[in-house]
Order: sequence, then structure tokens, then C-alpha cells
Amino acid sequence: MAKGMLIDVTKCMGCRGCQVACKEWNDLPAETTACLGCYDNPEDLSPITWNRVEFYEYEKDGQVNWFFRPVRCMHCLDAPCVKVCPTGALYKHELGFTAYDESLCNGCGYCTQFCPFDVPRLKETTFLGKGKSSKCTFCQDRVPAGQVPACAKTCPPGAIQFGEREDLLGKAQARLDYLHNGAPRPFPEAVLYNPSGVGGTAMMYILPEDNPGRFSLPEAPSGATANVWQKIVQPLGEVALGATVLGVIAAFFITRRNIRMEEVE
Amino acid sequence: MTVRLKGTERDVVTIRWIPKYTVIERVGHWLHTATFVPLAITGLILYVPLFQSLAQGQAGHFVRLVHRATAILFGLLPILYFIIEPRRFIMSIREFMFDRDDIGWVLNAFSYYLLGRHTAMPPQGRFNTGEKMNGLIMCVTWVVLGVTGLVMWFSKGAVPAELFHWMVLIHDVTMIVAVAMFLVHLYLAVAHPLMWAGLVSMRFGVTSAAYAAEHHAKWYYGPKRARQLYEEAKKKAASEAGH
Repeated sequence: MAKGMLIDVTKCMGCRGCQVACKEWNDLPAETTACLGCYDNPEDLSPITWNRVEFYEYEKDGQVNWFFRPVRCMHCLDAPCVKVCPTGALYKHELGFTAYDESLCNGCGYCTQFCPFDVPRLKETTFLGKGKSSKCTFCQDRVPAGQVPACAKTCPPGAIQFGEREDLLGKAQARLDYLHNGAPRPFPEAVLYNPSGVGGTAMMYILPEDNPGRFSLPEAPSGATANVWQKIVQPLGEVALGATVLGVIAAFFITRRNIRMEEVE
Repeated sequence: MTVRLKGTERDVVTIRWIPKYTVIERVGHWLHTATFVPLAITGLILYVPLFQSLAQGQAGHFVRLVHRATAILFGLLPILYFIIEPRRFIMSIREFMFDRDDIGWVLNAFSYYLLGRHTAMPPQGRFNTGEKMNGLIMCVTWVVLGVTGLVMWFSKGAVPAELFHWMVLIHDVTMIVAVAMFLVHLYLAVAHPLMWAGLVSMRFGVTSAAYAAEHHAKWYYGPKRARQLYEEAKKKAASEAGH
């Protein structure tokens, strides 16, 4: 059944344990970074950083808020990157996440452009365009073996929960009810971020307020142009070219029947 | 035209050849072919899911590399033509202008190309309406494929994702038009029984006077005389049909 992760931003304490566990399990080297004047480190996702904690500090109703969100592939159920990938390197795993077979990638980079969350990164962006894509794989080498993804396994406050996606949706509702009413520090505006524009996501977030932009998430992510490509342009092109080939062959036989070569000047 | 061989009883057919294309134009045409075909093949490998296995991994990277390397020459050819033979270039562009005879051509193209009835075909210039439409589509697709392709190659990440999406979609749609046009062009050049002269012209640079008189009357006789002959032929055909 479809697996999922529920990441509770109201629980995350920004320890970056998931960042480290991700690097360790996936054998990703450390990055040379610089101080950016904030706690974010490294600055951005990269071919060797598939998961990074982002820090959000802002004032609201006279109170300082400080939240943290582990940023990684959202594993859209209706993933635009899978639709535009010409190689099948990106594919939907039967367990519901967006898996990746690097050996198939040819470095075209369409996934980096069609991802509504700006997640995949090319390993190099040279003139020749050799760099393969890379992103969080939902621990595709752990989950099918019945193991918990490295980030969820390590998360000290239990902010990252892994499980059946259906169960997690129920758990999210219960958690939202608690946050809206029963919590010692209530979050009356807390919401579940599971955008329908990409068919829902296997990576779901509980956000402290209904303002995805504040947590660097798009309000209404969509795979519209990827859909136009896959559902209209691509099949239409095949039909048009197929029809042209058949038309030309038909024209050849009709013409040959009607025109006698002996009469041609 | 037939000529009696001297001192014999036999007639021989003589063909008078008149020049149609320069060496540069012919080399340019075949380089255009030699770049368009690999571009179409490598592009379709990335486009058609059936060929997915060729698009994967190292093979796929090679396909993409060939596509872009070939695209450079494909893009340069028309520019080189303009630099090397500017007067011929401008002359050719002028000859691609449409006029009222093109309407008559389009209306009769079906019965002409499929059934071989050509009395109703209005006189054509050095290029007929079909060639002009092919030329127009080639010019437009050259520009669109070039612009969208350059953005896809060099501006990934530098331009908004939305713009990149549209570049991909437009590149693909334009490719469909260009490849469809190419298939029709290929058929007419190689397989159509009435169009035998095209390949000869593109190989040797000449066309037969008889063929030019029949198919490109405005070029062969000049517009006035061509129209006169056309009206006469139409009258004759009408009176024959009347009896």
C-alpha cells in the first residue's frame, strides 16, 4: 500500500538529525559551506544534499515565531517530473513514492524545470549537460525492505512520522484537532499541506498556519504544463506524424494508379 | 522535343537543360537534409516513449549531444547561405512571395497530385505554391526551433520555469509540423511520378526546359506570356469538353 511521511512543523525542533541521517544512509559527502547570517546550512538543496532544514523566524500578533521545516522531495502522487522524464529514470514506485534510477538518467534536466517544488538538482551544469539528476528517493533502498526511512527513524521529537499514507491522513486530522483546541500552546490556524494540484503528496506537512508561502511552499503547486505535454502534445504529435506517414503512403498508391508514367513528359 | 538523327530514320529525344540552383544552394540543401534528419531522429528518441530505451543513461546522453551538435550546423546553414551568396539568397526569398495564382494551385492541387490532371493548374514561378508553402514552413520552424532550443540549452534555471515549459511545448509542436512537412517533401521528391525533375535539379543544378515550361511557366516564359498560354489552354480544354 501507499506509504507516506507526515512532517509536523509544530513539532520539529530544527536539530537537523534528519539531514545527517540522510547523508549517512545515502552516502552523501559533506558540503563546504559559508555562514549565511542565519541558521540555514547548507544554503540550498544540492546533488549531495537531498534534505535540509529551513528556518523561519517571524513576528505575528506580537509574538516571535521560530519554525523549522525539513525540505526535500514531496513525492507527488501525480508527479510532473515523472511525466516529463524521457528515460523512465524517475518513476512512481508501487509503494507510492517517486523513485529514481540514476543509471537511466541522461541529464536532460526536465525534472528540474517541471518540479513545482524546485527539488531535483543536476550534478553538474556544464555546456555538455552531462550531469545526472538527484533528489530524495524516499529511502527507496530501505522502504521496500520494510524499513523506516533514515530521516523518520532518527527524528528525536517524532516530527517525521512514516507509515501507511491513509493512516497518516487520519493521524494528521487527530493532530490538527489537538492543535486547534487541546494543545497547551494552541495553533488554531494549523493546516495539513497535501496539495491537490499534484494529486496530493506522499510527503505531507502540518503547518502552524495556513500560509504555505511563509514556509517556502507554493500555495497551489500544479503539474499543468507537464499534463499538457503528456496528455495532449505528446499523443497528438504521434497521431499527426503517424497520419502523415500513412497519408503519404496512401497518396503514393492512389497516384500510381492514376498516373501512367509513359504519359509523363 | 524530338530530333531526326542525321542520315537515319530514327528520332531521338533531346532535352535542353537550364540552370536552376547554384552549387552553394545544392550543397546547402543536402547539408540541411544531413542535419535535419539526425535532428529529427535524435529528437524523436526523446519524444516518443517507444524509443525510451535509446534515451536512457549514456546512450541518451550521446543522443542529446548529437542533437545539440547537429543543431549548431542546422542553425548556421541559412546564415552561411546569406553570407556566401547574398544576392541569390534575396532572389530566392523574393521568389517565395505568394500571389493570386497560388489560390488556383491550392484548389487544384488534389486532383493534380493524386489524379495527374494538370490543365487547370495556374502558371507557376520558379517555385510552385507547394514549394513556397514548404519554404515558408521551413523558415518559420527554423526560427522557432532555434529560439526555443537555445533557451532550453542555455537558459535552464536562468529563465522562469513557466517560460521553460512553454519553450519545450512549442519546440515539440514545431517539430511535429517540421517533420510532417519533411515527410511530404520527401515523398514528392523521391516517390511522386510527376516530380522526377526535383531530384535532378538538386543533384545537377539544372532542370529540363520542357519540365520548366510545363511546371514553372511564369519562370520559363515570363508572367505575361505564361498567363496568355494558360488562358488559351483553358479555352481549348473548355471547347473540347463542349463537343
